[in-house]
Amino acid sequence: MNNISIKRGHDIRITGVPPKEISSIPGSESVAIIPKSFRGVKPKLLVKEGDQVQIGSPLFFDKTKPNVNWASPANGSIKTIEFGPRRVINKIEITVEGSDAIPGQSFTSEQLSSADRVTVLNRIVDANLFPLIRQRPFNKVANPEEIPRDIFISAVNTAPLSVDLESVIDSDKEAFQAGVTALSRLIKGNVFVTSKNAMDLQNAVVQTISGPHPAGNVGIQIHHTKPLKPHDLVWTVDTQHVIILGKLFLTGVYQPTVVVTVGGSGATNPQTVSANVGANIGVLVSNQDLSNPVRLVSGDVLTGKKVETDQFLGFYDTSVAILSDEVDRPFIGMLAVGSSDTKYSLTNTFMGFGQKLFKFNTAQNGEERAMVPINAWENVLPMDLYPNALFRAILAQDIDEMEQLGLWECDDEDFALCSFACPSKIDVGEVIRDGLDLLEVEG
Amino acid sequence: MKWLRNLLDKVAPTFEKGGKLEKFYPIFEATDTILFSTDERTHSGPHIRDSIDVKRVMILVVVSLIPCYIFGAMNVGYQMALALGQTTTWQENLLNGAVTILPIIAVTFASGGFWELLFAVVRKHPVNEGFLVTCALIPLVMPPTIPLWQVAVATSFGIVIGKEIFGGVGMNIFNPALVARAFLFFTYPVRISGDKVWISGPDGHSGATALAIPAAEINQDAVTLLHSVSQFDFSWINMFMGWIPGSIGETSTLWILVGALFLAVTGIASWRVMVGALLGLIGMAALTNFMAEWTGSTNTMLTLPAHYHLVMGGFAFGVAFMATEPVTGAHTDKGRWVYGIFIGALTVIIRSINPAYPEGTMLAILLMNAFAPLIDYYVIRGNIKRRLVRYAQ
Repeated sequence: MNNISIKRGHDIRITGVPPKEISSIPGSESVAIIPKSFRGVKPKLLVKEGDQVQIGSPLFFDKTKPNVNWASPANGSIKTIEFGPRRVINKIEITVEGSDAIPGQSFTSEQLSSADRVTVLNRIVDANLFPLIRQRPFNKVANPEEIPRDIFISAVNTAPLSVDLESVIDSDKEAFQAGVTALSRLIKGNVFVTSKNAMDLQNAVVQTISGPHPAGNVGIQIHHTKPLKPHDLVWTVDTQHVIILGKLFLTGVYQPTVVVTVGGSGATNPQTVSANVGANIGVLVSNQDLSNPVRLVSGDVLTGKKVETDQFLGFYDTSVAILSDEVDRPFIGMLAVGSSDTKYSLTNTFMGFGQKLFKFNTAQNGEERAMVPINAWENVLPMDLYPNALFRAILAQDIDEMEQLGLWECDDEDFALCSFACPSKIDVGEVIRDGLDLLEVEG
Repeated sequence: MKWLRNLLDKVAPTFEKGGKLEKFYPIFEATDTILFSTDERTHSGPHIRDSIDVKRVMILVVVSLIPCYIFGAMNVGYQMALALGQTTTWQENLLNGAVTILPIIAVTFASGGFWELLFAVVRKHPVNEGFLVTCALIPLVMPPTIPLWQVAVATSFGIVIGKEIFGGVGMNIFNPALVARAFLFFTYPVRISGDKVWISGPDGHSGATALAIPAAEINQDAVTLLHSVSQFDFSWINMFMGWIPGSIGETSTLWILVGALFLAVTGIASWRVMVGALLGLIGMAALTNFMAEWTGSTNTMLTLPAHYHLVMGGFAFGVAFMATEPVTGAHTDKGRWVYGIFIGALTVIIRSINPAYPEGTMLAILLMNAFAPLIDYYVIRGNIKRRLVRYAQ
């Protein structure tokens, strides 16, 4: 077995690390899907307010790929459909009543290993779960009409405060294997899986990966396994979604539960919970004391979105971070000596040693400035490319140059640590995303 | 400091949008955030951030210059006493030196600050902390006898032409402090070169810098020549310690090393540039020494060995604090090696091949500032080629 060793990067030591054991929390009274959050998707509704839905019933489809539907993550009635400006569908909220799921064909593992591509693909599409599969480049919902080169699954989470995927797989080994087998039927190429420790898995190429974040990002896995060339296409599936697909094939029904971590410097009771897809944030943080000002984030602290308690967990998110939102203004702060309690830096510009966990808040710790290249980005980006040059090519909107500098292999989430470390407080990921959008339209 | 915070909060509305002094908001903002770190929260991208910011980067460069300032003041005082034939304590030296250099510092910061604030207000951009570094560097590369009006003119030129017309810190091509010095060097050479300017005293005592000694003679051995000077102690160790005439902050290689080490450890300056420059210097000096021996050249400078090049003139200072400036140097690690090596080699070439310009470091760095983007270009082309090879597999 091949090992990928990642040298550059950083594991952010933030307080509020959730334990691995799964605690129980009350179920959500309502769950929601946010159609506008899917990149490049033009949603068209299939339900209206008051309609009864089962788990797995289609809620909406993508006008650009009409056979891709989104499954309802709950059984109940459509509570509200909220529209934004220009009829953008902000939210489809479902009141949970019971747990009936639409039944479908199930497979034994032998049947699955010998099933043909069309059977497997149709089962996923008909179950309305195809949006669990995303594509690179552009990191968006894949198109079932296209055949990708390979499929990548990263079974390692290195993002701060994220779910420990090893224990998740251990408790659902059979479903994970079934999911991998199903995906392997879809392509001529390989299903690549990276894990922390060696793993016994059929129908996949397993590699171990070691090193700091972003080693667990699927983009880094692809870069170090078989990099994307221009106009290449690969699919990626999150580990927990592979398990959902595996269960679909083994049991015939969609089981919309995921393991979610709730943690962070503002969490009074960090925990790992089992939650419905699209669960209510308020329910997820119900065991936390939120009396001090905090910011809630759906997703990890580097790439997640700010949410409120009446909002819902993002479709692909499996963590909720709680960050203290109290920021003070120290006198002559720029001359502070600093200690491991007051400052956290990847540079040695403050005193403060050791591996102590740090109580991060939402401070930007400085104002945005022009780029001062002191290798802050390069030191945390384990890819063979020059982020600085790529960044400038994107600002200059020079598409040829972006392509040559390796933009096809990039996704904004892999650059989140660059933004974290940047002394000029530049949001590098946002610029990378702008470049990808431009490339998608014109490239 | 609560009263100060309250005061700032009280006057804030006058400078904010709709306030009477709205135009001067950048000045208020700079004062406010220098006194009290900003409480700006993350609004896009990662929700948490590293504690470092550009203010910290810049202020640490200024901190790294403090040893050079203190030693510089002491040496100015010492050279004065030496010229007058007085015996003084180090405290007296420090005091006398401080009296000489404080006006230079004040004029630099006043004129530099004026232009920075003016551009910030007119161009409506925040005041950039980079001017602190520029203004901290300029006095250190001036002779102690420099007329104050020249300091003001040079600082203005350095800040405006060297930086602001490109859009400010981060966009400039040349190191603004070096632009200021080069401006003086070519417009008012009498006050920044020769042997009349390095010692401040009542009536212009003469004393050549160490580099000028071998540059002025032919057909001799540079080291023997230096050791034969009786007016100053030009032994290697004394030059390393820095008790010699020269620009205010450039003489002591020891204290420059302390600052350089600090910058390298904190990660603000690239150690690759510094080590590269040292390697370039050693390599090129070996070559010139070899040429002196085998070509029969009468150029005394060719015989100067590398370790003397290191402690003479502005080499150590320039490499530690000017060449490592991240914006105007090469931006890639491979490029930084090349950039550094060329600075070291070019310094020796300019010093020895054309002894009329003994101050080779300044010109070498400015030249390499101009070539840094080209170096990066080739490093990045290499990366692109590697990627194409990967694609072809």
